Parts: sequence; structure tokens; C-alpha cells
Amino acid sequence: MTSAVDVRQVTVTYGSTLVLDGIDLQVPEGAAVAVVGENGAGKSTLLRCITGLQEPSAGDISVFEAVPGRGADFWRQVATTVESPSWYQGLTVREHLDLVRVVNGGDPGDGHIDELCTTLGLTGLSDSLPITLSSGQRQRFLLAATLVRPSRLLVLDEPEQRLDTRIKRAIAAHLRSYVEAGGTLIMASHDDGFRVGVGADEIVLTRPES
Amino acid sequence: MTPIEAPVRPGSSAAVDARRWIRRRRIAAEGRADIGTVYAATLAVLMAAALLGQPLVRVVWPPDAPGGDPAVTPFVGAVAVLAAFFVVLRQLGPLSVSRSDATWLLPAPLPRRTLLAPALTLTTVAALAVGAVTGIAMTGHVAARPAGLLVLGAGGTTGAAAAVLAALLALACQRRPSAARLADGIGIAIGAGCLVLAAALRTTGDHRLPSSLMPPVAVLATSAAALAAGLIAVVLTWRALENWPTAPIAEASINAGAYADVVYAVEPSYLTEMSTRRFWRSRTRVRTTRLLPARQVPPLIAQDLIILRRKAARLWWPVGAAAVPVYLADGPAWLLVGVVLIGALAAAGLTAESTHGDASNPAMLRLLGATGRQVTAQRLVVPAVVAGVWLAVTLAVLQAAGSLTGPWWALGLLAGPAVAVGAFQRAKASAASIGTILIDTPLGAFPAGMLLWLLNGIDVLAVLTLPVSAGLVMLQAPEALGWHWLLAQAVSSALGCALLVRRSGTAAGSL
Repeated sequence: MTSAVDVRQVTVTYGSTLVLDGIDLQVPEGAAVAVVGENGAGKSTLLRCITGLQEPSAGDISVFEAVPGRGADFWRQVATTVESPSWYQGLTVREHLDLVRVVNGGDPGDGHIDELCTTLGLTGLSDSLPITLSSGQRQRFLLAATLVRPSRLLVLDEPEQRLDTRIKRAIAAHLRSYVEAGGTLIMASHDDGFRVGVGADEIVLTRPES
Repeated sequence: MTPIEAPVRPGSSAAVDARRWIRRRRIAAEGRADIGTVYAATLAVLMAAALLGQPLVRVVWPPDAPGGDPAVTPFVGAVAVLAAFFVVLRQLGPLSVSRSDATWLLPAPLPRRTLLAPALTLTTVAALAVGAVTGIAMTGHVAARPAGLLVLGAGGTTGAAAAVLAALLALACQRRPSAARLADGIGIAIGAGCLVLAAALRTTGDHRLPSSLMPPVAVLATSAAALAAGLIAVVLTWRALENWPTAPIAEASINAGAYADVVYAVEPSYLTEMSTRRFWRSRTRVRTTRLLPARQVPPLIAQDLIILRRKAARLWWPVGAAAVPVYLADGPAWLLVGVVLIGALAAAGLTAESTHGDASNPAMLRLLGATGRQVTAQRLVVPAVVAGVWLAVTLAVLQAAGSLTGPWWALGLLAGPAVAVGAFQRAKASAASIGTILIDTPLGAFPAGMLLWLLNGIDVLAVLTLPVSAGLVMLQAPEALGWHWLLAQAVSSALGCALLVRRSGTAAGSL
């Protein structure tokens, strides 16, 4: 099986603080892994490096055998929630989802968006402007926008954050079916039940001794 | 370890003046106001007085006595100033506290009267000052010379009374946001209406009012009574402060804090962002359109069309602005060119928020997985059409007024894409992103970002719309516009668009 993500000896330092110390991680295509660890262990930093949004201080990362984060081709394959977009002012929640799906070459009328909105409890918010959403609703909206587009690799930073139990379960089932369909998933998580629900393997990060 | 007992019984309201306590702590930590700051502030005030004092006095009290009966225009001008004062007060609150006070003191069990008294006092004093100056200026433009103290007093008191009433109205609006929308609309309409009326009076000749209508003694008595009533209402407002809801004060404090950021960081693009956010937050009854799923137009063009449709309520100003160049047709050519091009740039900027947002945070572009070139090409279309139509109408109006002859409307349409390129360039940058070069002044370093931000995009616009500007300068009626001008503008517009799209990154997540 080909490797979707290949992280070799990656080290990240912020000033004098060592955040990641020589991390190795290989994720084959079609696998699901959950990076776990205490606050400050470097989970989000690792995910940011994998998406190419942050340059590691040392080491190499390749995603689908290419340098991550370069070009539209990369972003057509990889969808992530490690950064929060500033939504377009004046477009409704539903219009954002339509836009993301249309630009990525999907058919917005095939029922996929409706299904996700029902799963995430966004149906009643279709006509809302993102500026009026609560933080929990925004998290669900961000997940919907990420999941609504076709992708080969999902990089999610604590997707269970601020979700209620019912929606958490629905999202876990959705992610499990994504992986079963051949997608690759890397996520950071603090919720063991959620991780088991997704069926992701655990990778423990510990805070390096500086 | 014995756990500390959790405090569950609220004590009686604190007798200490929290603000004084905080001020003392601050002084203890940071010392009193820096002597350098005092020096700089004093110097700034003295310099402003030296530079602007004489011209301002001349505006308020012109040395040449107006002849005959009082004209209408000064009254219209005074009403416009008071309407503007009301709008500014509404933007600032008027009752607001500093952001840290809003976080820590507003939700604390402290008396509201103490907390908000400084803001209320400042509002009242500002109203008295602005009103008195406006009233005196109005008198200066209508009263015969020499004007006695009685006339001066009548003017000043009338202005002050009107401004205090405007401030009271602003306070009432802050307390009841449901009524505020209507009042805000009326305020803006009165201000804009006064400007249009003044412009109309300028072209048709001013009307005169018989001076016997306004005996100074009667005016002074009425206005003094109104002022006294207004001040009593201010005191009543102060007494009622305890029952004020928290939300409007907290919101005003956030707004006022953002304005302070603009002044402190000299970053005017904050203002546009904030006004955009306020506009969309107050926008109700939005319904999802079927334009995107229908896939009949490219998705980002569809996005701009949706935004334009939802901003229909704001389209009154570009429509009104199309008439402004008529007033300038007889003035200097550079002013006419400037107003025409800046107006077109503003019209093209109606849908620029998406580009501005994408440039400052490209996460959405990465989610879309579109290349910079695709995004740029699609985002130019709607602004090009809007700017083209605006220019065509404006130039056609100038033509109808007899200042121009020839196919000017076509030149306007062709210049649309060039203006869109300038607007795109402008939307991409914020003052902070342009640069932090500091210019040394006697008052300290001044960030050049703002100056560059003001000029940003205008440079591109000036080059690409050269045929329009050159035509406006060189071809005053009866000289007709030749077709070669149209060709030149078409080539310039096409070149500008092609270069911009080519230069946009091929990667997703960059414009």
C-alpha cells in the first residue's frame, strides 16, 4: 500500500522551546490515525506541518510523495480544519457549502450536502450568515465545509471539540465511512470514545524534554 | 491540603471607587503620564492651532459681511453638520467605556452612574461645543456687521440646544436599538439631503429669507429655554443610567475600541472591515439563492452577483455619486478626473470584501482548491461590469449636461475592466501588509503604511485609465471623442486584466 503521509525526523522549535523532537510517522493510504497527547505535546503543530502550513525546523515531510502545501493540486486532495477560515461576508451557510462543492468539481444537487447538514444539525441554519453563528455552530459548519468536498486526505484538529454527544457519534460514523471508502484520515483528539468510534489507531505524542 | 472555601454569598456592593483603585495601581506600576507624551500632545495642539486656527476662524466668522437678507445655504449647512454629529455619536455609542472597563467593570456590581458619568459628560460637553461653534458659524454667514453679543449669543445658544437634542436622540437610540435603525437612516438621509440641497442652491442661485422673521431676542429666549430643557433631560438620563441594559454599552465599547485601534495603529482598513461586519450582522431576511447549484455562471462570479444583490440597499450612493461630476464640470479638469475615477473605483469596490478576506486569510481559498489565476479572473468580472456601467452613466450625464460630445458612454464601458484591476489591487492590501516604513516627524515616527494604502490601487488605475483622464482634460465640448480613444482604452483594459491574471499565483491559497 502506498504511503499517504511520510514524516521523517521532524523537529519544530519555537524560540528556545522544543515542540517536536525528531518525530517519525508513516500513514498508509486508506488508514486512520489519531494523534493523542497532553496539551502542548505538539499535536496541532504536527498537523500544521503535514498540511504545509508550517515549515519544520528540521526533517522531511511528504504527502502523496510531494512536498505538502504547494499548489492547487495539493489542496484539491487535502482538506483540513487546522486553520479556521474567515468566511465570506454575505454568503449564507448553505451557499458556502454549495460554493466549496462546486469549485471542487462536485455536484451540489446530489444530496450529499443535505445529508451532511442533517448529520451535523445544520439544516435550520442554511439561511444564516456565518457571522451570526455561535462557536459550536461554527465548528460544525467548518466540519461540514471540509467534509462536503471530495478529498483523499483529511487532516482534522480535534474535530470532536464543542460538539454534543449525538453529533459527535454521527461525525465518528461519517469519518469511519470516509476511511472505508478509501480516504486517509489524520486527526488530533482528546476524546478516546470518539477515536474508537472513528476506528483510528492511536499515536501518542509526548512533550519533549528541552 | 484543606480546600479553600468557595465564595458563594455575594457581599454588599463595593464602596471603593474601582476606577480610582485601578488608576492608582497603574500609576504605581507604570508611573504618571510620560513627560514626552505630554510634550508631544501639547506641541500637536499648538501646531494644529497655528496651522488651522486662522483659516478656521475665517470659515466660522468670515471677515466680509454678508450683504442683504440671510441666505438659506448657511442654515442647510448647519443642519448637515448637526446630522453628521448625530451619525458620529451613533457610531461611537455615545455612551461607551474603555474595552478593559467593559470586560471587568461593566459586569461587576458597581454603580452604573459612576461608571458612565464620564462618557455622558463628554457627550454633553462635545454637543455644547460643536453646537455653539456651528451656531456661531451660521450666524457669521447670515448676520449683518457689526454683530452684537445678542446676535452671537442667539446663534450659539440655538446651535448648542440643537446639538444637545441630537445627543439626547442618539442616547435614546442607543438604549432602544429597534428604533435606532430608523433614526440612523433619517440622520444619514438628512445629512446627504442637505448636501444635495446645498449643491442645488449653488447652481440655481440662493434664496433669501426676510430677516424680520428672526428677531434675536425671541431666538435667544426660545433657544435658551430649549437648551435648559435639554440639559435637564441629560440629568434625567444620568439618573436613569442604573437601569440601562448592558448590551448596548458593551457593543459601543467594542466599536469605540476598534476606532481607537484605527487611530493608534493608523490602519484605516480596520474601519472598512468593521463597517462590513456591522452591515452583515444587521442584515436580516437573507435567503439562500439557487445561483451556485444551478452552475450557469462560474462560481466566484455567482458569489459576487449574490453579494451585489444583497447590497442593493447600499446602491443609492453610487447612483447619487454619478451626478456629482456635473457640479465639477466647470471646475479644474484634474478635480473632475479625480472624482470620476475615484467614484468608479468605489463602485468597483462594492464586491471587494471577498478578495480582501482571501488576501488576509487564504484558508477559504485552500478549502476551495482553486488556483490564484482562476480566482482573479472570475473576481474581475462583476466589478468590471459595475465600474463600466457607473462610468458610462456618469460620462453620459456629463454629455447630457453639454460638457462632452462623442461616444463617451462607450469609453466608460471599456474602462470598466481597467478600474476593476485597480479595485482588485486595492482590495488585496491592508495598510499593515503594505509596509511599516516609518517617517520621522517632530511629533514622532509616523507609519507610512496609511499613505501607501491610500494610494494603493490608484497608481494602477491612473495608468490603465489614461485614455479616460486624457480625454476629459483634452476634449471638452464641442470637440468630439474619436473612435481611436476607445481602441486605446480597450487595449489598456485588456492588457491590465491579462497582466493581473498572469501575475496571480498558480498555487491555491494565494491571490
